[in-house]
Amino acid sequence: MIKSLLIANRGEIAIRICRTAKRMGIKTYVIRTVKEPNAVYLDFADQVLDFPETDGTTPEFLDIDNLVKLAVDNKIQALHPGYGYLSENAEFAQKCTDAGVKFVGPPAKLIKDMGDKIIAKEIAAKNGVPMLQGSEGSVKDVKEGVKIAKKIGYPVIIKAASGGGGRGMRIVHKQSEMERMFHAASSEAQSAFGDPSVFIEKYLENPKHIEFQVVADAHGNVVHLGERECSVQRKHQKLLEEAPSSGIDAALRSKMARVAVKLAKGAGYESLGTVEFLLDKNKNFYFMEMNTRIQVEHPITEAITGLDLVELQLRIASGEKLPIKQSDVKLDGWAIECRINAEDVQADFTPSMGTIKQLRLPQGDNIRIDTGIVPGSEITPWFDSMIAKLIVHGKDRKQAIERALSALERFHIKGVKTSIPFCKAVLHNEAFRSGDFDTSFIETKLESLVYREPDEELMAAMLALYQYTHETVPDVGPETGIDPWVLNRRIRNL
Amino acid sequence: MTPKKTTNTTKLIALDTNTNAEYEFSVKDNYEYRYQKKPIRIDLVREADGVNVLSCNGLRYPYEVTRQSANTYNIILNGVSYSFSVETPFSLSRKRMLAAKAGLSKKEVIKAPMPGKILDVFVTEGQAVGSGEALLVLEAMKMQNTISTHMKGTVTKVTVVPGKTVGKDDVLIEIKAEH
Repeated sequence: MIKSLLIANRGEIAIRICRTAKRMGIKTYVIRTVKEPNAVYLDFADQVLDFPETDGTTPEFLDIDNLVKLAVDNKIQALHPGYGYLSENAEFAQKCTDAGVKFVGPPAKLIKDMGDKIIAKEIAAKNGVPMLQGSEGSVKDVKEGVKIAKKIGYPVIIKAASGGGGRGMRIVHKQSEMERMFHAASSEAQSAFGDPSVFIEKYLENPKHIEFQVVADAHGNVVHLGERECSVQRKHQKLLEEAPSSGIDAALRSKMARVAVKLAKGAGYESLGTVEFLLDKNKNFYFMEMNTRIQVEHPITEAITGLDLVELQLRIASGEKLPIKQSDVKLDGWAIECRINAEDVQADFTPSMGTIKQLRLPQGDNIRIDTGIVPGSEITPWFDSMIAKLIVHGKDRKQAIERALSALERFHIKGVKTSIPFCKAVLHNEAFRSGDFDTSFIETKLESLVYREPDEELMAAMLALYQYTHETVPDVGPETGIDPWVLNRRIRNL
Repeated sequence: MTPKKTTNTTKLIALDTNTNAEYEFSVKDNYEYRYQKKPIRIDLVREADGVNVLSCNGLRYPYEVTRQSANTYNIILNGVSYSFSVETPFSLSRKRMLAAKAGLSKKEVIKAPMPGKILDVFVTEGQAVGSGEALLVLEAMKMQNTISTHMKGTVTKVTVVPGKTVGKDDVLIEIKAEH
């Protein structure tokens, strides 16, 4: 087992990784940056390393050479990238390996292949994963794009070959839009990933987004840990996830799981991985992509399996065999994750900056909160807007929804606006509660983006009235008895 | 400092400045409120952890008054923003009259919804645009956002060029409505 671990990340995921690593007796190191020298995650590690001074052009957690150097200089055995940042960067994984630091994740070659959406599709197709129709490889120009779209029929989607997280994607409904959308996708891909190449595939209107968690060791053992339902999305960003999914039955679940496991085996996969599928109305599923990192939404899988995914990841990185077989994996109950983002939902989800003035967290059995903020924390534009994750577990979907709502009602953050009222709106929505919803849910089914508690507007009106009637005016001097307005006028007329 | 004086019983209206919903209250001695003829009592409580809670009719909602200017109050209740102005019957009718006048020369001011960089501008001054037409592309947090108009009219002002960095609420484009 590895003995020391550098966490090349911040916020809640750094804390999350520290928790498991400490339990396993691994010495943890985190990195202090000048952007948040007093961040909470620094308190959770055994040792804090200062990031060296640089010219500041590359954000700290994207600075490959300095991160590797920190691990080497401090003789740290392994490095955990968390999610985001360099977690799916093959060059980073390779440089860690070259420097003798164990990268917690799959080998660089696999990251590279799965990160290139075109190669990933080839690997998936070769391993019998159902595919959407589309371009073979990248599309070089608008003309070729038009030709392919004609063949497979509109609407089509243009995607960045090195994409992810919803960036560099455009939907094209008709030929006249192709030129503008092609350039938009390509230039966004260039600025976000440094690679302008794009591909085209058939666009499924309003599918469900369902992903399978797989775990593979270096000895060829692969198990799956069930699925996660991620259809509540806005601009391809997940906002609320649940496990399992109400959209698939046991037969379809085992079929999709078999495909996911076969892909992982066929690709020679190692570490944690997520196979993402699109599911259409007729319950046909198609490969979307494979993520090679730990996911933001991993806690809901932990809730229903009772497993610690970071522990599995660290054991695999240490070369151990998987401690579980497929028959050991039992899915128990239902879990929901609400992402609490510092965003003003009423102003089109714009980031909300500021200082956390107060924080009241719900507590109780079946509630887990992963967060990296405390009162006094600054929410700045430097980092992601996700400030907390609420995870609840219940015996069934209905109970999980009620528990999530009850927890959200007791979850208060003062200082920034958050997506809590949005999460409540989702959980109260009839379509969501029926389980029959897809990725168009927010646009088509959610009448109001925020949930208002009973009589909330009236209470707000009352509060305004209270403020108005309790306002004070300056005292008028008893001797002069002069009205300040009159005094003001006299002064001006002097 | 002494409380603002009102006569014994007055009528006050809280007007939601976003939805124009009106709540009419009668107020006696500055603290006895009646809504729809029933007395209604609120208490503002600062709890042990510093959270301010509005307590009324058995409901307990955390609140924050984020801004006050003149008789308008910006409030966050349960994490949801509200903006109310408190009006007398006289000031309300005056406000309605002014709003009706302003409606005649309507224009839309497109502001940056978030800080970012302008990547592309599709319109020029004097150009006619239709509702929903794309005006420009703003890149923020590595996402490209197309900003469109909600109004049919003529572009009267374009203050940005591609490549320009803008702050939140910077004016980008102005459009005059077509009559």
